[in-house]
Formats: sequence, structure tokens, C-alpha cells
Amino acid sequence: MRHRSSRWTAVLVAAGLILSGCGNGLLGDPGGAASDDGPIRLGMLAPRTGSEAAIGPYMQNGAQLAIDEINAKGGVDGRMLELVVEDDACDPKTAVAGANKLIAAGVHVSVGGYCSGATLPTLPVFHRVKIPMIIPAANSYELVEQKLDNVFLINGTGDQQAAAAATWIGKQRAASVVVMHDNTSAPRDMAVRTQSRLASTGVKVAVEIVTPKESDYSANVAVALRAKPDLIYWTGYFQEGGLIIRQLRHAGYRGAIMVGDGAVSAKLVEIAGATEAAGVFATMTQTPDTLPGAQGWLSAYKTKFGQEPGPYSNQSYDAVRLAAEAVRAAGGTDGAKVIAALAKVDGFPMFSGPLRFTPEHTLSSGGFQILVVKDGRFTLADPLT
Amino acid sequence: MLQVLWNGIFVGSFYALVALGYGMVYGVIRLLNFAHGDLYMVGAFVGFISLSALGVRTGGVGIPLLILTLVATMLVTGLLGVALERLAYRPLRGSSRLSLLITAVGASFALEYGVRIVAGADPQVYPVRFDLAALEVLGVRLSGQQLALIGFALALMVALHLLVSRTRRGRAMRAIALDPRASALMGIDVNAVVSQTFFIGSALAGAAGFMAGAYYGKIDFLMGFVIGLKAFTAAVIGGIGNIYGTMAGGILLGLVESVGTSVLGGQWRDVLTFGVLILFLSIRPTGLWGAPVAERA
Repeated sequence: MRHRSSRWTAVLVAAGLILSGCGNGLLGDPGGAASDDGPIRLGMLAPRTGSEAAIGPYMQNGAQLAIDEINAKGGVDGRMLELVVEDDACDPKTAVAGANKLIAAGVHVSVGGYCSGATLPTLPVFHRVKIPMIIPAANSYELVEQKLDNVFLINGTGDQQAAAAATWIGKQRAASVVVMHDNTSAPRDMAVRTQSRLASTGVKVAVEIVTPKESDYSANVAVALRAKPDLIYWTGYFQEGGLIIRQLRHAGYRGAIMVGDGAVSAKLVEIAGATEAAGVFATMTQTPDTLPGAQGWLSAYKTKFGQEPGPYSNQSYDAVRLAAEAVRAAGGTDGAKVIAALAKVDGFPMFSGPLRFTPEHTLSSGGFQILVVKDGRFTLADPLT
Repeated sequence: MLQVLWNGIFVGSFYALVALGYGMVYGVIRLLNFAHGDLYMVGAFVGFISLSALGVRTGGVGIPLLILTLVATMLVTGLLGVALERLAYRPLRGSSRLSLLITAVGASFALEYGVRIVAGADPQVYPVRFDLAALEVLGVRLSGQQLALIGFALALMVALHLLVSRTRRGRAMRAIALDPRASALMGIDVNAVVSQTFFIGSALAGAAGFMAGAYYGKIDFLMGFVIGLKAFTAAVIGGIGNIYGTMAGGILLGLVESVGTSVLGGQWRDVLTFGVLILFLSIRPTGLWGAPVAERA
């Protein structure tokens, strides 16, 4: 027995050495794959396994829709677009491995990134080889704080969302607020920013942290309700959000509930139950649902994939369009030139409005609005403009 | 505070139900069946699929139908547990503890991603929601469905207790736990009893999964992972292999989490749970009610 297990260990160690050796070799020679006439490869890291596995296909489909549209019109300067997707499992280690695979596959622009915690460690990986990153979903301020010139965020930032939340809470005249988050990067960032904004306006704020991926939040609910809140703001994702809403209502809470963009999903309503979710507010960027004139996009998506678009389908669609636009403006796929072209984009039409980047490479206007659950669907409550 | 205690007891009864199967299997063949939490998940999905197939889309579902589904779920997960033992664990029974353990981890992944292929990565929502009136006792909100579930969990535990302590089969299980080789010499069919143990343990996990699905509403293919670890913790607290200790361990763990969250904050929940696990493993690995190691060997 002993022999066999030590032999296996040796095999594993050897395999590990070979793999890591490969990784270094590829990283050492990034320029080889970036030829200037073949197809333009767009790389996407998105969760396809793990807790957020449901999101990956929505992002991939959104991106594919844009690629097919652009290719149907002849591509960019005669070059076709191609999507390469790798799984990041919403996990930092998997994400870094995925980023290295994308680089090995010769991608020119990265158009992925959903979980901020998993996206963060991929930033330096792409930066080292000067691959521009257009991040459709991840929006923790930690991404901005890296101050890397190749990183562009096309989702509103946590701070912009916190500002929208605070404005709406002010409008609701809530005197006591509990902000709940799951202690992961973006939700925590948003919760802390909302808390400091509210505290400065004299609202009583408490923060309650929950453990993600559980089913029972009754203990957290009991703590939150001890603060006698008028409004509870959940900044995490939809699975826990649905359970928390249901458990809050069943514990007898009658005040307002609001959720952040990560929780805006039809599944949230389904999990919470239609009665329990009725009247829940949300801070959300503009979506095809709430945009006038997006009907064509919605039906094109449904025809192609046989299902409704989900969270970040439209941002991924926009990320691909923006990448194509930047390559066109840069006259090729040279990383430095594309990055410069992205920084100069002015007024490019996107779902979130005409695009212009701030010096930090975030959206100049977050475009957050307030939605409310009515008849089991998220509908526009207040555009906050 | 009473509300906090009640919440803890309620969650703890789920842990106990899952931990029982964990403990039984460990007691009989000294295997930490890491796939046990995934049988809980499979139970939730079997219940989901059969309820959906029965076309129960509205809340007007009768109690008999629910019980029927529960029994069917327990049968399916029980048989799955038996199959798992037959295919993955029995061929390795004589080999080192480590290879069994690794196989169990592999079985866990196989179940998780197998269900993902069949049912998809999206979380599913149960078509039926228990909605019974809540009542307030001493300022504590007890919902009807919580009472029903705790009652049912207790009934299953009592049934298990009777089975193990009063029947021939239970005696055979205890004999194998003490000494498998001597039991075989005494004419006990060890393989059959191990299969039965897996059947019962897996059926209990499946029942817990179904009940969790019907109560919380949301199920997904990874839902068994955390509860598996927590059931293991509960079993360690109570004394692994000891049925009554395991039940108490589950409730105790639920209380630790609930009171800990209330006093220290939600971010401490898992720190406390697994801190308790480490504490017990290093200071008192036999748990609160486990037999001392010397006697067992």
C-alpha cells in the first residue's frame, strides 16, 4: 500500500512540475500568438461551474450574440471575431488558471469577469502581457484600486450603486437601515460604502454579515430585526437574497427590502415566493427590460438561444461591441494601441448610455436606477435622474 | 433570546438527521462517507423532480401526497447509497483508510456534477411551499412547518433508535461495528448488513434533503457540500458512531451557530462551527458521548 501511494505522489509532483513549467513558458512568450491578420480572439472568464454557474451561459450568450452580429456585417476590417470562454468557477485560483489558458489561446482582448473576488487576481496576469480587459460585470472598487491601465469597467461601480441606494433610502425617509452582505469583494464594498454614505446623512445603520451558500439565515434575520429597521438592503447575490427575503417576511418583518444588482434575477422572486418578494426594491443598471427600444435585442436573443437573457447578458454584449470598436479605432490588435483607443472612447452607445471612461477607467455615469418587484417581475420604479 | 434558541434547535435537527447517516456508516465500516452530504442533495432533487412530475404546481397539495413523495425519495436515495457502497467502497474495503477516503471525495464530486448534468447549474425552486400558520409562544415565533419538520425528524430518529437497539438487524450492525471479522465468523452476513446500513443512512439524508427543499424552497447541486461538513462536525461533537450522541451533537451545533451569530455576528458562524470541529478533534476526538478509543480497539 505504502509503495503505491508514494509512487502516486511522485507522479503528481512530476505532473505539477510539468504543468507549472508550461505556464511559465507561455507567460514568457506572449507575443507569439498575437498575429495581426487572423481572427480577433476575445477571451471571456465566466463562472460555468460552482455556485454562480448559472451566470456563465448568460454572459457567454450575450457576447456570442454581439460577435455573430458583427461577423455578419463583415467583422472588423475584414477580420472575424471569435469567442474563447474559460470557466473561472467564481474562484480566484481557477480564474488565474483560466486567464493563463486564455493567454495561451492567443486572445487579444478580455471581455469577461463576473465575481470580483475571482476577477481581481487575473488583472496582473492580463496586464503583464498587455491584454486590454473590458470587464462587463465585476465592479468592486478593489479592481480600480490596482490602478492598471489595461482594466476598463463597464458596469457601474460599487460606489455609484451605493450613491443610488443612499439617494433612494433618503427618498423613502427610512430612519433605521440594516445593510446585509455576504463578505465577498463586491457586496462588502457596496455595503461599506452605503453604510458610510447613510451614516453621514444621520440615518441609523447596522451591518449584518451572512455566510454565503447556506439555506438557513434565521439567525442573521433575528439579529437584523433586533435593530428595528425600516429598510433592509441586501448587497449580495440572488440565491441567498431570495432565501433572506423569504425568511425575513416569515419572521414577521413588514418594512421595506431592497437588493443590489447581483440579486436582480427572476430566480430571486421564485426563491423568495411571489407574495414575499412583492414590493422588493433593487438598485440596478439599465437592462433591456427597463430600456425603451430594446425590444429588438430581446427578441433577437430569445430567437437565437431559446431563452430569456439573464443577468449581464447585455453588459457582455456591450463589452464585445466595445472591444470591436476599440480594435477598429486602434487599427489592429496591438494591446497598447487598443488600450489607448479604449481610454479615448467618447459617446459609444451602450445599454448604460453613451460611454465615456473616467481617468480611473470606470463609467462616468453609473446609470443606476431603482426597480421594484411587481406581479413577480422587476419593473422600473424610479430612474433616479 | 428564546427565538435564537428555537432557530438553533430547528437548524440543528437537520444537521442531526444528516449526521446520523454519517455516524452510522462510520460506526459500521469506519468510512467517512464524504458523499453523504451529496445524498442529501440528491434527495432534494428526487423530491423536486417527483413533485414536479406529479404536476403539483399550486399550493393545494395534500399531506398524503407529500408523505408519499418523501417515502419515494427515501427509497431512491437509499438505493443510491447501496449502489455507491457496492461500486465504490466495497472493492476497497480491505485497503488503506486513505484510499477509501479519497474514493469518497471522488464519489462526492461524481454525484454533484452528475446532478448538474441532469438538472442544470441553475438553482431550482420547489413547486410546493409548505405554508402553515405561525404561532407565538412566549414571544417566540414557531411556524407550523417548523414544528412538522422537527416532529418528523424526531420520529425518524426514534425509529432508527428502535431499529438499532431492538432488532436482530440492529444487533448485527452493532456487532460489525465492534469487530467485523468476528461477526463474519459468527455467521453474520457482513456485506448485507453494510448494505442495509448504507440504505438507512442514505435514506435519512434523502429525507432531510427533501424536507430542506420543501421548507427553504431553493435547491442546487452544491447544497450538500456544506451540510455534509457540518453533519461531520455534529457527528464528531456527539461522538462518531454513537447514535444518541450524534443527535445531541447536531442540535448542539445548531445552537452554537445560532447563539454565536447572535452574540458575535454572522461572519463568525463558520469560524465557530469549524473551530469547534478542530477543538474536538484535537482535545476530545471521541466526542462528548463517544466510547474511549481503548475500548473500541
